[in-house]
Amino acid sequence: MKKYLSLLAILMLGVVVIFTVTACGANQQDDSSGATEKTDGINGQSDKKQEEPVKLRIYAQYADEDTKAPYDYAVEALKKEMPNVELELDVQAQDDGQKLKTYAATGNLPDIFQSGLDIINTFKKSDNILVLDEYAKKTGFIDKMHPSAMNTLYADDGHIYAFPYAGNELILLFYNKEIFEQNDVKVPTTYDELLTAVKDFRSKGVTPLSIFAKEKWPCVGLYDIFATRLEPEGIKKLDQGKAKASEEAYKQGAERIIELVKAGLLPKGATNLNYDQAAALFHQGKAAMFINGQWEIEASTKALGDKVDWMYYPAHDAASVEKTKYAFSGSGGPGGYAVSPHTKDKELAVEVAAFMSLKYAECKYTRRSNPILATRVDLPIEQPYPAMMEKLSVDIPKITSTTAFAWGLSNPKFKAALEDATQRLLTGSYSADDFVKDLDDVIERINK
Amino acid sequence: MRVIRKKKKQHIFLQFFLWVYAFISLYPLIWMVFYSLKNNDEIFVTNPYGFPVHFRIENYITAWSRYNVPVYFFNSLLVAVVTVIGTITLAVMFSYAVARMRWKLKDTARIYVMIGMFIPVQVIMIPLAILVRDFGLTNTYFALFIPYIAFNLAFSTAIFYGFFRTIPFELEESGCIDGASIYKTFFSIILPIVKPAIATVVIFIFLSSWNEFTMALILISKESLKTLPLGLLFFQGEFTTDWGAMGAAMTIASVPTILIYMLFSEQVENALTVGASVKG
Amino acid sequence: MEKYLRDRTAIAVFILPTLLLFTIVVFNPILQTFYRSMFEWDGLSEAQFIFFDNFTRLFQDRLFYDSMYNGLLFAAVLVVLQIGIGTFLVLAVTDSAIKYRKFLRISYFIPVVLSITVACQLWLSVYNGEYGLLNKFFETLGISYRQDWLNSEKGAIFAIAVVNAWQYMGYHFAILLAAVKSIPEQYFEAARIDGAGKVRAHLSITLPLLVEAYRFCFVLAITGGLNAFANMFIMTGGGPGTATYTLTYMMYRSAFRVNEFGYGCASATMLVVQCLIATIIINKLFGRESVTY
Repeated sequence: MKKYLSLLAILMLGVVVIFTVTACGANQQDDSSGATEKTDGINGQSDKKQEEPVKLRIYAQYADEDTKAPYDYAVEALKKEMPNVELELDVQAQDDGQKLKTYAATGNLPDIFQSGLDIINTFKKSDNILVLDEYAKKTGFIDKMHPSAMNTLYADDGHIYAFPYAGNELILLFYNKEIFEQNDVKVPTTYDELLTAVKDFRSKGVTPLSIFAKEKWPCVGLYDIFATRLEPEGIKKLDQGKAKASEEAYKQGAERIIELVKAGLLPKGATNLNYDQAAALFHQGKAAMFINGQWEIEASTKALGDKVDWMYYPAHDAASVEKTKYAFSGSGGPGGYAVSPHTKDKELAVEVAAFMSLKYAECKYTRRSNPILATRVDLPIEQPYPAMMEKLSVDIPKITSTTAFAWGLSNPKFKAALEDATQRLLTGSYSADDFVKDLDDVIERINK
Repeated sequence: MRVIRKKKKQHIFLQFFLWVYAFISLYPLIWMVFYSLKNNDEIFVTNPYGFPVHFRIENYITAWSRYNVPVYFFNSLLVAVVTVIGTITLAVMFSYAVARMRWKLKDTARIYVMIGMFIPVQVIMIPLAILVRDFGLTNTYFALFIPYIAFNLAFSTAIFYGFFRTIPFELEESGCIDGASIYKTFFSIILPIVKPAIATVVIFIFLSSWNEFTMALILISKESLKTLPLGLLFFQGEFTTDWGAMGAAMTIASVPTILIYMLFSEQVENALTVGASVKG
Repeated sequence: MEKYLRDRTAIAVFILPTLLLFTIVVFNPILQTFYRSMFEWDGLSEAQFIFFDNFTRLFQDRLFYDSMYNGLLFAAVLVVLQIGIGTFLVLAVTDSAIKYRKFLRISYFIPVVLSITVACQLWLSVYNGEYGLLNKFFETLGISYRQDWLNSEKGAIFAIAVVNAWQYMGYHFAILLAAVKSIPEQYFEAARIDGAGKVRAHLSITLPLLVEAYRFCFVLAITGGLNAFANMFIMTGGGPGTATYTLTYMMYRSAFRVNEFGYGCASATMLVVQCLIATIIINKLFGRESVTY
């Protein structure tokens, strides 16, 4: 026994030594590669003015090209503007706010964090989010807002809690024209055509629709597409307690998804796919359609060139095609970079948050072909818009109604229930009646 | 003659079953190591099951530099070592006083601490998270040290208590006669004797805190403080489509515990068996 | 000597650190959980005493029953796979004619020492619908039995339970093996003289002597199943939807996703009650009084 003990001790010691040594090695590697998850502000700091270096923790999206590029761009700009500030990036988990809420509950909140309406509403009650009314004026952020996107700045109670960068965004159904042509499938304009298309693709071994349903908001989005065919206000109306899930539009939305899923709409393991996995299916031509926000335009164009386009959501029936064509799902809502009230230097954190937000939007505008933003950008765009964006810009003024993304829902309890229920729909074996009942139970309790 | 043949048949059947299950136990792991050395094309199409042909070591380099694997590793080690030391120090002292010293409420005290074994961590997750927050321990190593030590106390106390009951009282008597203080007796006579029990507890606590997930999930958020089980949780970015590198990261994370186990297989099994049965 | 062992200062020095730490970090939160289950509370602002309302709500909540059901299913899978396979393997491996016993033992136990994250991520890739080992395997065999393992309303919970069973079977194996080894050889010899066959010998001698070990295993497997959390957290996030929720997961969701800490504490309380009932039933079934230390 004694022998083993000392052996164990030696082994542990050995492990410690090895790993301290390799850890140093790894650090060096980190410095040279630089572009890893950590955002080092060390380089180029020494020769700048001697201000006290400050480290701020930021919780931000950093998953795909559309979130990495603008973030990196903003960080670069920040280094020039405030060289003393170093950002420590905590990559936003694709878990619909769960991690951030855990942070708040355990007093772990980062200095700056990406927030949606649900987060704002939860955090303002518990004093976990800073009111930015004063700061928005002082930093001049308010003057840079698009007048049409003011809804993304003010929360329901008229206060500002976050610096938005995204404007009124929309959910689009992308499709691969080539796959449709090759398989001789008509681009669906009605639900029935969609169902036929799904069956046709399935019989030919093509995945009809790719979705990253590990995140729950795309599930909500997919459901909203069908709900809005009969009730243009879609999930927003449920969120506000003005409608019940037992109403025709909502129940039918569920039934239709179930029917489609049973017909083979989704790839295997859809509820376990994250963005990269789901996007890969579409980008590599293995899936005919893909659901995502309009920010996907850039990435899809890059992968598929002129083979890709977006379609109007398939209508309820042939008669309502024109009538509901411009009833879109999605919209903007209050959200963006928010600041923790527990941060050490509020002024500074707010300044950084506002700056990051503006630069983020700037990159999206100039480099990511995305004009749907909260703030104005006065720089020229670096490349012409892809055809899909041109098409969307023409349609934007014609939009008759919008709803909300899951993160734009105001009631956390309803949001959680809707997310769970819509994700569950994608298994095909959750009945529409259960769906309605589960949602109505929650809606009823909230309105009590 | 027939009996022998029947025996043989039975025997072959047993053999077969044993090896099949060994295969089920190991193959997923071997598969993981294999694919950590392949690229996606090989994993998905050309060579999904077999031995890697090209040995793509670059997967390991990617995994090592993309993840903070070294940091997670160090944290897990630190947390495990501190937990082991802290728990053993407290538990040995406590169980000594409970098992051998004479005072009124000793049985009550022992049973009280035993409660810890029957309460699943999950049950107290919420108040624990709030406690850690209120003590301002959030995002420090202490957010893990303290709960881990506290949670392992019950089990280690049970082991040490059982052990202390088996050694004769003459030991203290000799110390007493020599005129040594109780502390001196405790450190120089008692402690050396409980070494075997300590070895068991060390392994058990080391492995359980090295692999602990639920509490770490709730109590730690800072990247630089994450332990291995937590750190490997969030595969980010395009990385999730790079199976090779993912496999590499998992392999790196598994090698140390597997090595420790192979070296001390019997100790580990004993420790965990004793631990498990005491916990039950 | 008496005085020596009654030294109050020494006793205090020895026991106070443990008692203090245990009381603050473990015992106090247990009480808190029970107490807070009677409040409507978001974890930060002032709590409102609502007596048993959380429990009334819990008993009407479909999610509660689903979660409980999943916990029981999980426990059942663990019992069948871990204890069932464990028993068989132990009996087979103790057969002296088997070669490479050490290797076999080690291979059964290796998954136990893996980190749960690694085990789950590994199985995520095994279950992967397109490229996973399992579906590839069926594909190669030419069987069109390709399943959507984790995206299935009914099947996901089993798929996850199998992962846990796979990882911790070795635990049960080791417990049972240790118990078998402690059976004196004479028992078997006696059986041999009686001319009992191997199977009969095991049934009539070995298994009854393993009662204690089985009790441990059952408590371990069943409470482990009821408490399950990490496996689903990593593999499905409780999904699809809420299809793989357990009571622990429900508690996590209540507290950290919808900010209903009181309600979460109520489900935690129910979890304790369940585990308690399970333990009592197991002890009853296996006779004798509960474990003594």
